[in-house]
Amino acid sequence: MAAIIEVEKLTKSYGSKRGIADVSFQVEEGEVFGFLGPNGAGKTTTIRLVMALLRADAGFARIAGFDSWGKSLEIKRIVGYMPGEPALDPNLTGGQILEYFAHLRGGVDQAYLKELVERFELDTSRKFRQYSTGNKRKVVLIQAFMHRPRVLILDEPTSGLDPLNQQEFDRLVKEARDEGRTVFLSSHVLSEVEKTCTRVGIIRDGRLVRIGGVSEVSAIKRYEITITFAGAVPVDSFKSLDGVAAVESLDHGRGVRLAMQGPADAVIKAAARYPVVALTSHEPSLEDIFLRYYEGDGALAKEPQGVA
Amino acid sequence: MWLSSIFLKTLRDYRVAILGWGIGMGLVVISPMASVTALITTPQARQQLISLAATFAWNADAIAVDTIGGYATFKIGIFMFLIAIWPLLAGSRMLRGEEDRGSLDVLLSLPRRRLNVALEKLAAMWAALVVMGLLIGLLAFGGGKIFRGDFGLGDALLFGLNLALICAVFGSLALFISQFTQERGPAAGWTAGLLLVFIVLDMVHRVVPNSEWISRLSPIYYYNLSKPLVPSYGANAEAMVTLLALAAIFGGIAVWLFVRRDIGGTVALPRWLSLPERRASRALPVGDWSVRSVYARSLGMIAMPALWWTLGIAGFAGWMVYVVQLMETRLAGLLSGSSTMTNLIKNLGGGDVSVNAGFLSAMFFFLPLMLMAFAVTQVNRWAADEGDGRLELVLAAPQSRTSVLLGRFAALGTASIAISVITLLVSFEVAALAGLNLDSANLAAATLGMIPLGLLIAALGYLASGWLRTAADTGLLSFVLAAWFFISFIGPELKLPDATLRLSAFYYYGTPLLHGLQVTSVLGVLAVSALALGIGALRFSRKDIGV
Repeated sequence: MAAIIEVEKLTKSYGSKRGIADVSFQVEEGEVFGFLGPNGAGKTTTIRLVMALLRADAGFARIAGFDSWGKSLEIKRIVGYMPGEPALDPNLTGGQILEYFAHLRGGVDQAYLKELVERFELDTSRKFRQYSTGNKRKVVLIQAFMHRPRVLILDEPTSGLDPLNQQEFDRLVKEARDEGRTVFLSSHVLSEVEKTCTRVGIIRDGRLVRIGGVSEVSAIKRYEITITFAGAVPVDSFKSLDGVAAVESLDHGRGVRLAMQGPADAVIKAAARYPVVALTSHEPSLEDIFLRYYEGDGALAKEPQGVA
Repeated sequence: MWLSSIFLKTLRDYRVAILGWGIGMGLVVISPMASVTALITTPQARQQLISLAATFAWNADAIAVDTIGGYATFKIGIFMFLIAIWPLLAGSRMLRGEEDRGSLDVLLSLPRRRLNVALEKLAAMWAALVVMGLLIGLLAFGGGKIFRGDFGLGDALLFGLNLALICAVFGSLALFISQFTQERGPAAGWTAGLLLVFIVLDMVHRVVPNSEWISRLSPIYYYNLSKPLVPSYGANAEAMVTLLALAAIFGGIAVWLFVRRDIGGTVALPRWLSLPERRASRALPVGDWSVRSVYARSLGMIAMPALWWTLGIAGFAGWMVYVVQLMETRLAGLLSGSSTMTNLIKNLGGGDVSVNAGFLSAMFFFLPLMLMAFAVTQVNRWAADEGDGRLELVLAAPQSRTSVLLGRFAALGTASIAISVITLLVSFEVAALAGLNLDSANLAAATLGMIPLGLLIAALGYLASGWLRTAADTGLLSFVLAAWFFISFIGPELKLPDATLRLSAFYYYGTPLLHGLQVTSVLGVLAVSALALGIGALRFSRKDIGV
């Protein structure tokens, strides 16, 4: 398939402050592409450059062959955009906002718009300023989808949505993908991207550090298990177990913190040999992953960008 | 240090306002001191001034108006509305504004009692007003020294304190009202409405005999009981304590209500006072005309402020047309005794001041000034929308940046035309009612001729917003407006060279009420406006949005 989004050596700085540097990637038509990175990594800057809200210092971005700066009007006709921090006229109701943007787009399918409003259970009669954070995001999400755009560019779209609305969002993304439309979404939650995306790019400190299929990127995903025992246990016995990447002894051997990469079956069975007081598992944030695993791993940190 | 407590942080937030309003209002107090010396050069002129002031006694007590302090006190009455604007905005924003933004949630999550948070913020506003009062007092004292006033430093400081107290009353009242409103805007609006009502209530006893009991219902009555700049009259300690008590009562009740209500909610009103409950709806389309285009949306946004400014500008024009005949005899006597004042009005009016149209022409000089001030507020809104990210989604829709900017500008232009046309109609109607014979074509030129000036300052503001943030853009425009006013108002009297006078936009407005429209000047102003707007649009189409 042809690339519908092309980003080549895109660079932007804010005076002396870092923006992004030499970011290059391509997104093929019909794919769902996840753009991952910790807070402040440069995701929003990249997206705002692609949307021609910022002007690049160097490099370029193209959508459907149109230069994002020179042909921004053509691009905006085929793109649905959701900013990371929605700011709209606080005195307009949700209904007025949706109607306004429908007019600015030259009209939309009203039946589909009503369907979206129903699916997200949005009360369109409230003023924007009166909406909760989640409802504000629903308004902006609906306006991004309402004209069935060929390309969707969504900046942290599920942030602030409750689980039911997140599921509804996942369904919308799946429908878009099934219809051959392209979705480019940013997130700082790896598991969220795993769920919806086919390919993922990771940005950190303004540079793209990794790009590839979701399964490839998932290789960096680790999780932690912390087990508290009634008494001291031989901590070293956990080191050689399947799925264990690193072991840390806690409270003089009365607990253990395991960095996991793979199934936890062996760990659970080994722990069951001793009296267990508590067991917790959690997925570290992307920032933690970078801090703990990427930073010290020269090979990974310096790995050249590759397009799978 | 300034971030070590809520009190100091809030005071720090007010630092620009303290300096701006303190110095600005101080200069407002000084300006009548400068003009009164020119009005009392002869005993006859002094008598005429006293007589003329008596004509305006409905507005303020005409006490010792032939002295520096007395005249300043008399004139400041007109600016009461101006002085109270900051505290009523600050009071309505203090808690409700932070609730709107959600920042109060974070503040209240700290281990601090809600009562302390509210009290520290209220105390910071009062402290800011005291500092403003101090600045105003010091400037008034300086003015008194320069123009040989007969009041001392203590009198000037008492004058500043009296102003701070009346401002504290309206700030605390706004805070009180904001406990009942969901947003800060209506709280500011209600307080502004009450301010007008109180001004009128205070006026009643000067117009209607035996009606002092009505005026006592107004805090402004107690403010006017003290005239520290008139040493023979002095300050009224009881009145000042009354103002302090009113501020404390409004502020105290507001804080008491605040600690008992939901954050983000309002004080529960009795059922019969509450609005009917709004039912959730998913109805679409809503069929609102104002969301059909960027231009229509911009028009919808500007409609309400334009209405208020229309009332002010058209009201001022109508009032001047109405009173000019009533003042004719006294004014002629006053001006015959003061060559400075005669020259000033001649310079502004452009003709013989003994003729009604001549004086009216000088007064109409203020119409474009007011329209330009309105334009500055709208440019401020444009810059704020961009800075706050409210243009981001509009610019992500298939609308060119140029069309978005021009849509906003066109709405401002439409509002300016509407204001001017209504001002023309009101002036025309009042002149007919008062039996004042004014040249219709010249009246049209005087009212419609202010449109190009409004467009000019707006275009310059749009141009500057391409580089400057909201505060800097508004500050620059305000400075330009003040400089133009200064050049045209007293420039001729200071014998400034013609090249300098031409730097002011008012120069090109001319004196249309007497001499009709200067087509070349109007076209010139429109050309400069178009150029500024064109460069502004070009800059906007190339700049980073929201950076």
